[in-house]
Amino acid sequence: MALASIRLRSSSRAGKGKWIFAALVALALAAYLVVGELWESAPGSDLSLTFGWAAAAVLVAVAALSARKRTMKLASRLGLGRSQAWLSVHIYGGGLFVVLVLLHSDFGLPDGWVTGWLLGLSLWTVAGGFLGRMLQRWIPRLMTSGLATEVIYERIPELVEEVRSRAATVAGSGSVEIQDFYARSMAKDIEAPRRRWIFFFDITGGVRERLRAVRYLRGKLSETEAGKLDELESLYRTKFEIDAHYTLQQTLRGWLWLHVPTSILLLVFLGLHLWGVLRY
Amino acid sequence: MASKDKWTGQKGSFGDVELPVARSYPARAARNKMLLAGAALVAFALGAVVFDELVGRGALASNGPLSSDHAAFEGDCANCHDPELREASDERCSVCHEKFGDELGVYNFAAHYIYRSDDFRRLVPDEHEVACFTCHLEHEGRDAPITRVDDVRCDSCHFGSFRDEHPEFDFVAERIPDSDAVGFAHIHHVREVMKRQALEDVEKSCLYCHNAQPDGKSFEPIAFDRHCDSCHLTATISTPGLPIQTDGAEPGVLTLEQITAARGPGARWAYFTDPNEYRRRGSLLVKGPVHHRDPWVLENLRRLRGLLHPDAGLADLLRTSADAQPHQVRALYSEAIATLEDQALGLRGRPEREIQAELGAIDALLERLKKEIEKPFASLDEAAFLLALGSRDASLSAEQAAAIEALVSELTTPCRQCHRVEQATIVRVETDQRTLRRAEFDHRAHILQARCLDCHSRIPILEGLGSEDKPAAQVDNASIQNLPAIATCRQCHTPKLASDRCVTCHLFHPNKSRRSELLLYLDEAP
Repeated sequence: MALASIRLRSSSRAGKGKWIFAALVALALAAYLVVGELWESAPGSDLSLTFGWAAAAVLVAVAALSARKRTMKLASRLGLGRSQAWLSVHIYGGGLFVVLVLLHSDFGLPDGWVTGWLLGLSLWTVAGGFLGRMLQRWIPRLMTSGLATEVIYERIPELVEEVRSRAATVAGSGSVEIQDFYARSMAKDIEAPRRRWIFFFDITGGVRERLRAVRYLRGKLSETEAGKLDELESLYRTKFEIDAHYTLQQTLRGWLWLHVPTSILLLVFLGLHLWGVLRY
Repeated sequence: MASKDKWTGQKGSFGDVELPVARSYPARAARNKMLLAGAALVAFALGAVVFDELVGRGALASNGPLSSDHAAFEGDCANCHDPELREASDERCSVCHEKFGDELGVYNFAAHYIYRSDDFRRLVPDEHEVACFTCHLEHEGRDAPITRVDDVRCDSCHFGSFRDEHPEFDFVAERIPDSDAVGFAHIHHVREVMKRQALEDVEKSCLYCHNAQPDGKSFEPIAFDRHCDSCHLTATISTPGLPIQTDGAEPGVLTLEQITAARGPGARWAYFTDPNEYRRRGSLLVKGPVHHRDPWVLENLRRLRGLLHPDAGLADLLRTSADAQPHQVRALYSEAIATLEDQALGLRGRPEREIQAELGAIDALLERLKKEIEKPFASLDEAAFLLALGSRDASLSAEQAAAIEALVSELTTPCRQCHRVEQATIVRVETDQRTLRRAEFDHRAHILQARCLDCHSRIPILEGLGSEDKPAAQVDNASIQNLPAIATCRQCHTPKLASDRCVTCHLFHPNKSRRSELLLYLDEAP
């Protein structure tokens, strides 16, 4: 009951953020269209500068999420709001930022080196952020849809080594057929964590198809040897699940490489731009 | 979950193959690498900027390419920016452009008050002075028109939008009439021109008199010789019989012989005129034909004016009255100097020593005067021409004055067909047809979108063509400003159609042609 109420409250906050975002975007677009209709909104005009300053302020607010994450205890002590609220500001603020940047540049390409990079980085960083947001919504669902095992990303090398070691032991204690089959069909797949694109489309990684030979081999083995082969099959399936985690969790973390370094550069370019504007 | 003893040292197992549970929660890989990558990008970008500043041309710090006009200076920021690389300085603009802050203030904020009025007395220092770059934004790309100044620069002092707040033109709002120094009815003249030139298109008859200047923006001044001569003051036009001046008290005109014999100043024309144009009829003299600016008429008019206003002073040096617009005051002085030069020329044939001795001094004085009035700051006051005509000769009786005025009226009978005569002077005609002195209007730019009479419709010319009746004077006379109200401009000049920006019609800096001329006087300006 308590969990349900937390979920409801959380979704209600997210909904509110969506509406605030929509209202602010609509306000900015209306100002752009109305002023453009009545006067002008070319780069350099008062309205354009207002959009520019608003975009700068929004970017600073959006970037504050990073600082919030690094000072969780302090933020909690100071009552700076829930992480969910900060994340909403980060996501919707990012969207608002790019809208304001486009209005600021009057949907044109800047002429300067700094301003050109500023626009490019803005679009890149925000696009990267939205890609990450999509991945964060999609990949967890994908993982829960077909994986029986849950593993922590940092433990994957250790667990793979565990699987490999146990598989090698089992295969070593088996018959020649099992040893030969393991060496030929399983050892290479088991030896190290491996990324496979197929997990984005088939969460099992096509393991059933790969194990068709196991079924054929089992019919030719004694009961004792068949038991060892079953154990190898289980280890092989587990390794594929770990590989699925490896691939998907790496993607979940990897998109940040598209987002974080460029966002740092974006902040620096914003500083250069503001310095240029205020100084000259 | 497997028992704890199976995995010694582990907390348990999970999954189908009973993988070991971690003894402690694994530390998440630090994100410092991402921050380091960001820092590396920043270092690379800043390094590029610094390298470009120190070794390159500083192009990376530039906010964009310079406009085409200034592209040649892009290689060195210091061409426009001061050594500390702060904003572009006005002094550096003036290396190529006229001196900013010079006394003439060609580019001063205050200069835009004078506009095209040429009234440099309005050129006063202003506390609202702004730097060149305030309006002329650079680094907006090669094709950026830096003279296209944003309206917001004007709005801070003036009204907001053209569509809603631009004031009505003065001549409409204040019902300022046009000059009626010449009695002129458009409809009658359009009818005559169309008939004589066999024109079908009424607007071609407009252009018969309103001849476009080479740039097509405005029109040449109306000239009698070109536009009126074929119908007016033809060979058959004569003065009425005018009494000849005798020694008696009655006023009269001087004959050609009397003028020649007097050898007065400014009478050289008398030696070159046709004596057959002067016919005696008893005690009366008839002059015919009468020419435009007929020197005999003007000489007698000047003499009669001298009887009424003996202290006319400078006004006596003008061919017509001193009623001039502020921007024409210079023309009054030029006309007076021309008269003096003509009079001096007439004295050159005189053998008297004292006259010849004086001529040198007069020439020097005229030369100095001519230079003085060319200076934009010359203190020119039309009142100097007007004051003396305000008072009459007190020794004249009312009857004597009336007799002189009657003779003036008789003498100027042919002139008064078109001109007004006041105080024994032909009222000055304003030949410049430009009414908008604070704005630009380009006729050529408009003629394809609208015909002449679409805008100039206050005088009902089209309606008047339908009949031979003489239109009522109140609907067709010279004082009617045949110009549209601002609502006509607003039909096309809107944000979505033709430009409605301030700089479309208004120049902030004075007329460019004038600007070049001013350079000649920079060193001599007081």
